[in-house]
Amino acid sequence: MAEVRLEGVHKLFGSVVAVEDFNLSIGSSEFVVFVGPSGCGKSTTLRMLAGLEDVTSGSISIDGRAVNNVHPKDRDIAMVFQNYALYPHLNVFDNISFGLRAKRLPKDEIAKRTNEAAEILGLGDLLKRRPGELSGGQKQRVAMGRAIVRKPKVFLFDEPLSNLDAKLRHKMRAEMKILHQRVQTTTVYVTHDQVEAMTLADRIVIMNEGHIEQVGTPDEVYKHPASQFVASFIGSPAMNFATGRIEASGKTMSLRTDSGTSLDLAGCGVAEGTMVQLGFRPEHMELADTAKPARGHVSIAGSITVVEPMGHETVLTCDAGFGEIVGKYEGERRFQPGETVKFHIRADRLHYFDLKTGLRI
Amino acid sequence: MTDFWNRLTIGQKLAITAWLFLAIPLVFYITIRFYPTFEAFYVSTLKWNLLGAKKAIGFKNYIKIFADEDFWLVLWNTIKYALVGVPVSMLIAFVIAYWLNEIHFGHDMIRAMYFIPFLTTAVAMAWVWRWFYQPLPIGYFNIMLSWMGIPQQPFLKSVTQALYAIMAPAVWAGLGFQIVIFIAGIRAIPRSYFEAAEIDGAGRWQILREITLPALKPTMIFLTVVSTIGFLRIFDQVYTMSADSAGGPLNSTKPLVLMIYEFAFDEFKLGRASALTVILFMILLVVSLVQLWLMRKHK
Repeated sequence: MAEVRLEGVHKLFGSVVAVEDFNLSIGSSEFVVFVGPSGCGKSTTLRMLAGLEDVTSGSISIDGRAVNNVHPKDRDIAMVFQNYALYPHLNVFDNISFGLRAKRLPKDEIAKRTNEAAEILGLGDLLKRRPGELSGGQKQRVAMGRAIVRKPKVFLFDEPLSNLDAKLRHKMRAEMKILHQRVQTTTVYVTHDQVEAMTLADRIVIMNEGHIEQVGTPDEVYKHPASQFVASFIGSPAMNFATGRIEASGKTMSLRTDSGTSLDLAGCGVAEGTMVQLGFRPEHMELADTAKPARGHVSIAGSITVVEPMGHETVLTCDAGFGEIVGKYEGERRFQPGETVKFHIRADRLHYFDLKTGLRI
Repeated sequence: MTDFWNRLTIGQKLAITAWLFLAIPLVFYITIRFYPTFEAFYVSTLKWNLLGAKKAIGFKNYIKIFADEDFWLVLWNTIKYALVGVPVSMLIAFVIAYWLNEIHFGHDMIRAMYFIPFLTTAVAMAWVWRWFYQPLPIGYFNIMLSWMGIPQQPFLKSVTQALYAIMAPAVWAGLGFQIVIFIAGIRAIPRSYFEAAEIDGAGRWQILREITLPALKPTMIFLTVVSTIGFLRIFDQVYTMSADSAGGPLNSTKPLVLMIYEFAFDEFKLGRASALTVILFMILLVVSLVQLWLMRKHK
């Protein structure tokens, strides 16, 4: 268990900036997830942490020791790769014990620790098999076994569940959580899947175009996204946005959208004249029968373009005049495209972002 | 006709189209390669001087060959070319490929330089090497030896050295091909294998032994077979370089193919030459079958 600090880390590939001024302090036994779209620099940051990429400037330290110029093998880390990187000609036992053999530990120690790791991961019966004879989930477990058997200070995961199908991914996610609760090793986990990030992380680091957009607990990034990018990235279906200008007439505030429609906002703290992006989540939209909203609510109407019944809920895509919005409905009612529906949203669940900077207001 | 065509399933149409495309190479192979091969089996049972009457003599050609001391010497020469040439060339090629893969600057140029001999005519190259092997003051090798104060070597004129002196340009000529195949093999190994090994603390040696070499096993089997067959059929270099007479001195460098050539075109014993061809064919067949078996086992 160890703390990991990244201070002012930059990475350039030629003249291309891959990572820009990355600052993060990861606590002992914390589970931190880097999430963002492809090319946002999350994997590059992880690879710098592993020592597979050089740091252009800034410093990385593990357990108080600067590791910028330390060889990967001397950083006391273990990494799980997206393609598992299992050696096809070695059996499960030899794959898991590869790192221990590299360290030249005594034979009985290797056997003891390998069997222990295999036991934790439920691989006991598969030790003699080769990777080619394993299922995706089993390969994933062997890759994790190879990491935990070394009892490193830090685990690094590079999109470890991306090659699994949805059902298995869900299962392995749970197993990974149990494993972390058991071994309590500091973990840095990279994924492009926000659901994985939300479910696994103690803290999420959301990255975009090489820089950090926000660091926070899953709850924080969901409820208080620091920027429009975070708001659009976290949550499924994604948050809805309306772009426009804040206007005031007497006590009531409204949003004059680009397309000319006006949305009444029940009290908002944003100064008149500000150009904003107004955000609201599909799951916070309540289907209503009346256009007039209750106190402290905002009303939005739209005509349905797509109906997606999911069983327990129905996802409705609507044309709201200022743009497309997606709403969720839980209940028995059936919908037809073309039908007009009204949604009410609690005003305190509206998010305002500065149109220019994208930052939360 | 169109009716017939329209009634076929998509699979049948595809098969017919494919076979039409294959027809030309198939006809070529059957007339130019397979027919003469089978003809050789037949001729090997004849006594025939290319022009005169053919006389069936059964297995007498084979019996005479096996009773001939020269045949066993030539067979042993041929095996020596393969037995020494294959491992030596593979080892050199692997070492070069392994390190060439680590560098980026000048990589393509160096690889091209190794590949050029593979494209060069064996006879032209053999002449140049023959010149290298000359005694002072002409031959480079002897010039270099004299600089180092080492006694002059006879090379092509020695019954013990000539075979290896002729093998050297053959090894050299094949290197480019082997290097390219090895590099392709090394590059096909996923990078994450090496990265994972590096993080796990494996040294260069453990990575080589436990990851690189096992992953290259199919590559090595392929190269072993291709170069074994190549060395077993060695001819140009020997014919061009050997001293005194072709295959000399004293038959010490003569391989099977050269013996076949002499039987056929110097002595006009076509039956004997064919019988020897059949023997070489059998040897190559066994080598190829062993390769197939090894490849299957590997999968």
